[in-house]
Amino acid sequence: MASTDAALQIPALDTASGARRKRPGRLRRHGRAAAALALLAATLFPFLWLVQLAFKPAADLFDSSLLFVPTLDGFRALLQGSFPRSFLNSLAVSTLSTAMSLAIGVPAAYALTRWRFPGRRHVALWILVTRMAPPIAFTIPFFLAYRWLGLQDTLLGLALVYLTFNLAIVIWLMQTFFEAVPTALEEAAYIDGCGVWQAFWRITLPLAAPGVAATAVLCFIFAWNDFFYALILTRTQAVTAPVAIVNFLQYEGWEWSKIAAGGTLVMFPVVLFTVLVRKYLVHGLTAGGVKD
Amino acid sequence: MAALTLHQITKHYGDTPVIHGVDIGIRDGEFVALVGPSGCGKSTLLRMIAGLESATGGEIRLGGRLVNDTPPRERNIAMVFQNYALYPHMTVADNLGFALKLQGQPRAAIERRVGEVAAILGLEPLLSRTPRQLSGGQRQRVAMGRAIVRQPDAFLFDEPLSNLDAQLRVQVRTEIKALHQRLGTTTVYVTHDQVEAMTLADRIVVLKDGRVEQAGAPLELYDRPANAFVARFIGSPSMNFIPGRLELDGGPRVVTDDGLQLPLPQAPRARQGDRVLYGARPEHFALASAGDGEDGALPARVVVVEPTGAETQVALSVGTGGHDVLAAFRDRIAVRPGEPLWLRPQPGQAHVFDAASGTRLN
Repeated sequence: MASTDAALQIPALDTASGARRKRPGRLRRHGRAAAALALLAATLFPFLWLVQLAFKPAADLFDSSLLFVPTLDGFRALLQGSFPRSFLNSLAVSTLSTAMSLAIGVPAAYALTRWRFPGRRHVALWILVTRMAPPIAFTIPFFLAYRWLGLQDTLLGLALVYLTFNLAIVIWLMQTFFEAVPTALEEAAYIDGCGVWQAFWRITLPLAAPGVAATAVLCFIFAWNDFFYALILTRTQAVTAPVAIVNFLQYEGWEWSKIAAGGTLVMFPVVLFTVLVRKYLVHGLTAGGVKD
Repeated sequence: MAALTLHQITKHYGDTPVIHGVDIGIRDGEFVALVGPSGCGKSTLLRMIAGLESATGGEIRLGGRLVNDTPPRERNIAMVFQNYALYPHMTVADNLGFALKLQGQPRAAIERRVGEVAAILGLEPLLSRTPRQLSGGQRQRVAMGRAIVRQPDAFLFDEPLSNLDAQLRVQVRTEIKALHQRLGTTTVYVTHDQVEAMTLADRIVVLKDGRVEQAGAPLELYDRPANAFVARFIGSPSMNFIPGRLELDGGPRVVTDDGLQLPLPQAPRARQGDRVLYGARPEHFALASAGDGEDGALPARVVVVEPTGAETQVALSVGTGGHDVLAAFRDRIAVRPGEPLWLRPQPGQAHVFDAASGTRLN
């Protein structure tokens, strides 16, 4: 009994004292939540629409009803064509370009962070500038050079193009992660018997590992999402998933189930990775802004 | 273990000189403290000994071998950092054994040695923890363990106690001293805290603006500071200074502008009438009975009374000129702010410094 009374009394007291201040606050809070929901619905609508399309029977694709018997026909149809190969191509190209970007970019970022050479700021800035140029500017040079080098329609060729774009991201993101590792730790490692490379490998890199993971995912997603270069530089052998999906838009007709199913499959890894690393990614983009 | 010699060391950052030709000789097994205010170059000197910074000029010799261009890992020195610099992704055991692992020692040997060191420092229950799970004092101990584990030629300490609370600081200070007595390793210890330097070191080097002001045994620096800077820096509470003019006729003494007579034990190396600073340590004042101003007692007024238990510190305003003087009495004297008091400085303990250069004159 007593506890119920106490429970009843506390909110009563609370509202008595804070009623004037609380009501507008609550309204604002609910209003904000409602606005967020509306924004979320608007943003997610195309995505959700595509996903439901992928599971709809071909007959009532454009039936606006949400009540339907889900089917995997679209996905089954994909498996029979060349889509699985394109999907694997996408995986291979993205993985390869991510690995190369990290192999070159991580040590570069480390050098830019720790080595105070003259013109360091300029070098860092010009690396970023490479990322700012519109892709179309490089299309014809790439196309001609690749034809001459025999890199056209190869996975390696495509991975190299993505490498050039991802390097800037790796170098800039990893600089913030390396800056977050105190130099005293490296100095302690030198005194304990490490050379520069060993200190980097055994101390700095493990401590920046979450950053490396987040950066890797970002690189992977950039390569994975590319449509433009994949369209220009591939024909049959190295076609990636986004290009393969567009190929379902044919003169004979548009294969909506396949397009929706393919789109869903292509989105899946991106969503998964983003959810996995968002914490580190935000940290990487803001690290150093606030003293821990 | 090894002797350590710095000969005419200079350091420039760009065009800015920060160390101006420092000479320090450290004997094998000696414990030397480098003290001075911030920016005096003590940490820079230590980092040059470690090899973390290069010397612009001069020679650094470790055990007779010139190490100016030797990377840190080949100097066989160990360092304890101000912020400990423990590897956060390794356990305490891995932190301790890291140097041995880099040397390529077998796992069993590393474990044995880590066990020994952990026993010395009382770290055994913590071996499987990571640094973030340790308290400040425990981290400090791991940092020391990491230094002693590989039996280096010299230990370097960079303000190792500055992140600890007061009580822990005294405790770890004692541990460092005990450790040095036990291991007898050459040690260079950087601190801005003169009490740490006094209690730990065999010899203290006082630095200011990249120059050695004085080097010597702690009590030597305390009893005969070479200049006013060292006199002020060594000793807590610090020495009192009263400016005046040297009077040699009728017994050497310092006469202040407001007429106070401050007797000196013997004539200093200066001329009649020179501007000087009369220096007296807080504990070198005695209470005199009222009114006997004739025999050198100074009239004073109590400003603040600070009883510490062991002694009573009294801040005073002396003479009509209101010179600030802090006196420390072993006895628990009962005085209140505003009350008058008569002080008699002990003439045998007086210091005289040149007013302009600060150089010792007696």
